[in-house]
Amino acid sequence: MTASGTCGYADELSSFFDVSSLGGFITKSITLEPRLGNPPPRIVETNAGMLNAIGLANLGVERFIAEKLPIIEKMSTKVFVNLAGWEIDDYVAVTEKLAGRDGISGFELNISCPNVKKGGITIGTDPAQVEKITKKVKKAAGNKPLMVKLTPTVTDISVTAKAAVDGGANALSLINTFTAMVIDIETRKPILANRTGGISGPAIKPIAVYLVNKVYNEVAKPAGIPILGLGGIMTASDAVEFIIAGATAVGIGTATFPDPMAAMKIIGGIEKYCRRKEISEIKDLIGSLQ
Amino acid sequence: MENTAKNAEKTIATATVRSNRPLGPCFYRLSLDLDQTGSEAFSGINPGRFVELRLSELAIPPSEAIPDELTDAAQRKIILSRPFSLCDVKEKDGKVIIDILFKVLGAATVRMTTLKRGAKLTIIGPLGNGFKVDETKTNALLVAGGLGAPPLQHLANYIRVNFPHMRVVAFAGAQSYDELPFTVLIDNEEGLFLEEFSRMRVESHIATDDGSAGFKGFVTQRLAQWIEEHEPDTSDSIIYSCGPQPMLASVAKLAGEHNIDCQVSMESMMACGIGLCQSCVIKANTPANETSYKLCCQDGPVFDSKDIDFG
Repeated sequence: MTASGTCGYADELSSFFDVSSLGGFITKSITLEPRLGNPPPRIVETNAGMLNAIGLANLGVERFIAEKLPIIEKMSTKVFVNLAGWEIDDYVAVTEKLAGRDGISGFELNISCPNVKKGGITIGTDPAQVEKITKKVKKAAGNKPLMVKLTPTVTDISVTAKAAVDGGANALSLINTFTAMVIDIETRKPILANRTGGISGPAIKPIAVYLVNKVYNEVAKPAGIPILGLGGIMTASDAVEFIIAGATAVGIGTATFPDPMAAMKIIGGIEKYCRRKEISEIKDLIGSLQ
Repeated sequence: MENTAKNAEKTIATATVRSNRPLGPCFYRLSLDLDQTGSEAFSGINPGRFVELRLSELAIPPSEAIPDELTDAAQRKIILSRPFSLCDVKEKDGKVIIDILFKVLGAATVRMTTLKRGAKLTIIGPLGNGFKVDETKTNALLVAGGLGAPPLQHLANYIRVNFPHMRVVAFAGAQSYDELPFTVLIDNEEGLFLEEFSRMRVESHIATDDGSAGFKGFVTQRLAQWIEEHEPDTSDSIIYSCGPQPMLASVAKLAGEHNIDCQVSMESMMACGIGLCQSCVIKANTPANETSYKLCCQDGPVFDSKDIDFG
């Protein structure tokens, strides 16, 4: 799947490949009201990664429905809408507006954005809030599945994962970015206008693999729910690591920026790996860590 | 003239290095042969559009070839592609050649100095919206600051070839003589000119902050002086500009004062160049004076100066 915030609203990548070849597509975060996002600079590259502080810039749910949903409805891939907000009621309101729409396969609950002052990560780091919001949004989502995206900036991610499962999450996605900072030593100022941003890319991959494995063993496997594993996947080998660690699906984010074909190449590479290892069903690989 | 090819869809193409030559103490001119896919996409594009170069596979040059101030930066691994404007786009035997002018400034550009003839690069382009040549105008005033010069070189040539009735006057500014991204200066009894523009029979004027070449001061001061001296018909003139944001702000202000149409090519940090990352926002003017952002990669990089909020 292509990860939220790295693949646009709908068919932006279709000038490069047939998006129906994707396992799924996750829209950028949608909020109740339109959002400008943070002032620039919003990104900075760092060693083996990048920081972003976009600040949930998006056109809001009404324009999303009017302008993007008709495109999404024509896309023959599973589309998940990433939900963002400030108060729990904001998330619920966005979900209610989208729950009855065809073309949307499910939702991803973003309670892990490190780049806004309220909502997001402040909900995602509090297990009681995680359970509460999951329960409410799940109810608003009707019969559509809800995936909860977890932040790694907690002491024990299994606690928040368990809270999401207790709230009725149908799947977990992890990890979102880590809060980070890059300083310009000439000016002694942070490079990002937001001062901090979320770090993604290869730098965070081994941590993400570990956390996926931990949540798989401690929460997801016992509960029987799938994990979307993501965090720094650049190659098929990276993706296979996540699957062995316990991910049922993988998300491709930062890799798409330099190479819009990254997700396609990774799908091909996973198939090649499975042939080489004589794995006929990908599910035989999931959580197969020795 | 609406060139049919200029709205060609962006594509991923392979480019082969023709040459990569140092230009003065600070710059390199990289010339790339495009494959069939790239040639079809880039054929006849209007100036001001840009290209993303994938540089993550390039090696770090040997330590003695790395400028002192980049010793640390050079060690950093490159993940993201880098956007570049084009200083020339030409066709030869049905294939397109694009030229990029770059300055060695960081981890990516220091690696680009190692590119040798025959090396392959993956590129994405053509990206963004370029300059819209208004052929109803007679005077095209091209105003370049520092590394803003490349797309204006392409524009000068484009206007000379496609709109020969337009008079093109170029103004190039930099901090010093060494920072002017041009081959050589022509210094004769008629004055000081830039070879790249003289070759196209385009009149050029130079300004340097320290006075090491041409007018001592900002290029915008030189432009203001020229407008005062020549009193061009402002409704019949248009300014095309590219350079650092404070300079563009002052070009836009000058254009506003003289009521001259003005297009500016902006720059912003971008992760993808294709509208996915939402990083490269430029503050835009709105009728209601509310804050609004446009994406440099998709809505620009060339904007009408009236649409930009320079703050």
